[in-house]
Amino acid sequence: MRRDPDNWWRWATLSPALLLMLGLGLLPVLNLVVLGFFDVRWADGRSIWTFVGTRHYAALPADPLFRASIVNTVLFALGAVAGQMLLGFALALLCHKATRGRVFWRALFVLPVLIPGIVIGAMWKLLLNPDFGAIAQLFEVAGLEPLDWLGEASTALFAVIMVDIWHWTPFCFLLFLAGLESLPRDVYEAAKVDGASAWQELLRITLPLMWPTIVVTFVFRLVLAFKVFDEIYLLTGGGPGTATEVVSFTIYQRFFTEDRAGYGAAMSVAVIFLIFLMLAAAAAARRRVQS
Amino acid sequence: MAQHAPTFPRRTLLGAAAAAGTFPRFADAQARMAPITIVINQSPWLDSFARIVQLYERESGNRIELDVNPFAGSLEKQRNSVRAARGTTDILIMNSGWFAEMYFGGFVQPITDIDPAYRLDQGVYTLGDTVFFDAATKTMNARGKLMSMPIAPLIPLTYYRADLYREAGIEGPPRTFEQLEANARRLNRPPRMIGMVQRGARGPNSVSFDFLPYIYGHGGGFFRDPANGDFTVTLNAAEGRTALDFYIRLAREAGHPRTAAMDQADVIQAFATGRAAQMITVIAAWSQMDDRERSAVVDRVEWAAPPSVAGKPTAPGLGHWLAGISRNVPDDRQRAALAFLKWFGTASTQIAFARGGGIPVHAAAYRDGLADERRFRWMKPMAEALPHSVNPYNFPEASEVIAVLELGLNRAIAGEISSVAALNGMSSEIADIMAKHGHRTGKLEPLR
Repeated sequence: MRRDPDNWWRWATLSPALLLMLGLGLLPVLNLVVLGFFDVRWADGRSIWTFVGTRHYAALPADPLFRASIVNTVLFALGAVAGQMLLGFALALLCHKATRGRVFWRALFVLPVLIPGIVIGAMWKLLLNPDFGAIAQLFEVAGLEPLDWLGEASTALFAVIMVDIWHWTPFCFLLFLAGLESLPRDVYEAAKVDGASAWQELLRITLPLMWPTIVVTFVFRLVLAFKVFDEIYLLTGGGPGTATEVVSFTIYQRFFTEDRAGYGAAMSVAVIFLIFLMLAAAAAARRRVQS
Repeated sequence: MAQHAPTFPRRTLLGAAAAAGTFPRFADAQARMAPITIVINQSPWLDSFARIVQLYERESGNRIELDVNPFAGSLEKQRNSVRAARGTTDILIMNSGWFAEMYFGGFVQPITDIDPAYRLDQGVYTLGDTVFFDAATKTMNARGKLMSMPIAPLIPLTYYRADLYREAGIEGPPRTFEQLEANARRLNRPPRMIGMVQRGARGPNSVSFDFLPYIYGHGGGFFRDPANGDFTVTLNAAEGRTALDFYIRLAREAGHPRTAAMDQADVIQAFATGRAAQMITVIAAWSQMDDRERSAVVDRVEWAAPPSVAGKPTAPGLGHWLAGISRNVPDDRQRAALAFLKWFGTASTQIAFARGGGIPVHAAAYRDGLADERRFRWMKPMAEALPHSVNPYNFPEASEVIAVLELGLNRAIAGEISSVAALNGMSSEIADIMAKHGHRTGKLEPLR
C-alpha cells in the first residue's frame, strides 16, 4: 500500500491542537472517573485518598435524592423541551411569514435567552411569590385564590418547567427560523401551483424538510435541559421535599455542600453516561427516521 | 476596606464611636500590618461587622478586605483557600455547621501558636468551648488550644408582637411550647395575620437549625452523648417525634401555608412586614425590626428565650460564627489577622459593635447600660438564653449530617412523608454516616 506523503505532515500539524483538545476535554473527565473510586478526607491540611472500588456506584440506586432527581430531571427535560420546541416552531413560522417588523419581532422573541440565569431566577421568584407577586395579584383581580406555585409540591416542578420554557424557547426559535429561511423556495412555489393549502404545505413540505433541524434542536435542548441547575437553585432549592430535585442539584449537594468528592464524582460519571446513552438513542432514532 | 463590602457613612461610624464612649486604642498604631482578607457570608449581621471593620481600619490604619459570599459560597471559598498550597484568605468566618471540619482538617492555625502569650479575655463567651480544640483527643474543651475568636454568638430567640399580645390580653412571652401554640392559634387570622412563621425550606443549614430549639427544648437531641464521643442517634426517640409533630402541627394549623418553602429571608420578611405574630429566628435579625426603612413593626416587637416543655430549660441551638486564622497564609498576615481579632475581642470594641447593630460576644456588653435601653431590649433574653445554648455539631462530618436533616425535615413539613418515616429515615442515614467515619454510634428501634 502506498503511503500518502502528506499524511505525516497532516498529523504533525494537527497534533498540537489534538493534544490540547484531549488534555482539556478528556483529562478532567478521567480525573472524575478516578476520583469516583476513592473516598477523600482531610487531616493536617492534607487530603487522604482511600480506595473504595465501585462502592460509590453501588450506592447510587439506593440514594433517595439521586432516584428522585433522575425522575424529576426526565420529567423536566421532556416537559420543558416539548414546550420549547412547539412554541419555538410556532413563533419561527409566524416570524418567517411576517412581512412587516421582522427584525423587531425577532429581537423581542430572542430577549429571554439573553438574560442571565441569576436574573431570571430573581425575576420569576418575585413574579411567582404568592404574597406580593404579580401573578398572585392577577389571580386576586380575577377573583381566584392565588397559588403558591413554588411552595406546593404539586405545582413546583410545573412552575419551574414554565420558567425554563420562557427562558429557552428563543433558542429553539432561532434555530428553527434559520432552518425555515434556508428552505428552497421553489418547492413552495410548485406546491402553490398544485393548489396545496397552508396546512398541507406545513405537513408535507415544511416539517419533512425541517426534520434534521428539529432533531438537532431537540437533542441540543434535551442535553441542556438535563443539565439544568441555576433555575432550580434559585427558585426552589430542589424542594419542597424532593419535588424539584434534579441531577445537577443533587451532584452539587453531594459534591460541594456535603464535601463528598468521591461519591459526587461517581454520581457525575453516572450522569455523563446517561447523557451519552440519551445521545446514542437520539442518533439511532434519527438514523431510523432517515432510513 | 475594599469594595466588596458595603460602605457606611462616616457619621454612622462616628455616632457608634461616640456612643461607645471610648475606643480601644490600637496598641501598634504606629506599625502598619499586612493587609488581610476576611471571607464572610452575606447574613443579617454582615452590616454591623462591616461597620466594626471600618472602625478598626480607621483606628489602626491597617487594611481589611471583606470577601462577601452567600452562605454556601462562603464555605466553598474557604475550602478552596485552605486546601491550596497557599491560602488566599486570612480569616475564615466559620459557621457552627463547618468549623469542626476546619479544626479536624488542620486548616486553622491555633491562635496561641501565633502568639503564645495571648489569652482570651475572661468576658468573651466561649460558646460551648467551641473556640478550643484538643487535636490529640479530637475534642473541644478548654484544655485544647485556642483556635478561634467568636464573632457572632447567634442563637434563635422568640420574636413576638407585643402590641398584638396586649390587644388579645395575652400576658408575657411564651415560655412553654404549649403557650407558644396557644398564642399562635389565638392570633392566627390568615391570610392577613399568621400566628407563627417558621422556616421549612431546605438549604445549607436552614430548617435543621430552626428545628434545634424544638427538639432540644423537648428534651431530645440528635445524639446520646456527643461530648463524650457517644454518637448513638437519638433523633427518633419519643422526644424527637413530639418535637417534629409539634413543628408540623404549628405550621399547618397556625402557621404560614407555604412553610415548607420558606427560607430565613421569607420568615423575617413575613414578620417585619407585619404579617406574622410570632417567630423563632436567629437574633441577628433584631436590628431590622426597629429600622423604619425595613420594618412595619417598629417598636412593636419583644424578644424572649425560646420556649421549652415545662420543667426543661430553654435550649436554643448554636448557629454561631467563629473567626479562625488560615494555617496556609504567611506569618505576617497571620499576625495581622490576630491583631484584628485581639482588638475585636475587647470589651469596648464589643460595646461599639453592639451599638452598630452587632451581637456582642463579650459579657461586658450585656452588663453595660445599653442593655437597659429600649433599642437593645433583646439583650436580656439573649443573656438568659445563651448559657443554655446547644452545639450539636462537634464532628467534622457535620455537613453530611446537616444535609440529611435538611432533606428529611423538609419532606416531613411538606407532607411528602410522615414524621415517623422522616425520623426513622434520618436516624438510619445519620447512623450510617457516623459509622462510616469511625465514630462510636448506633441507633434506636425505629418508631412505629
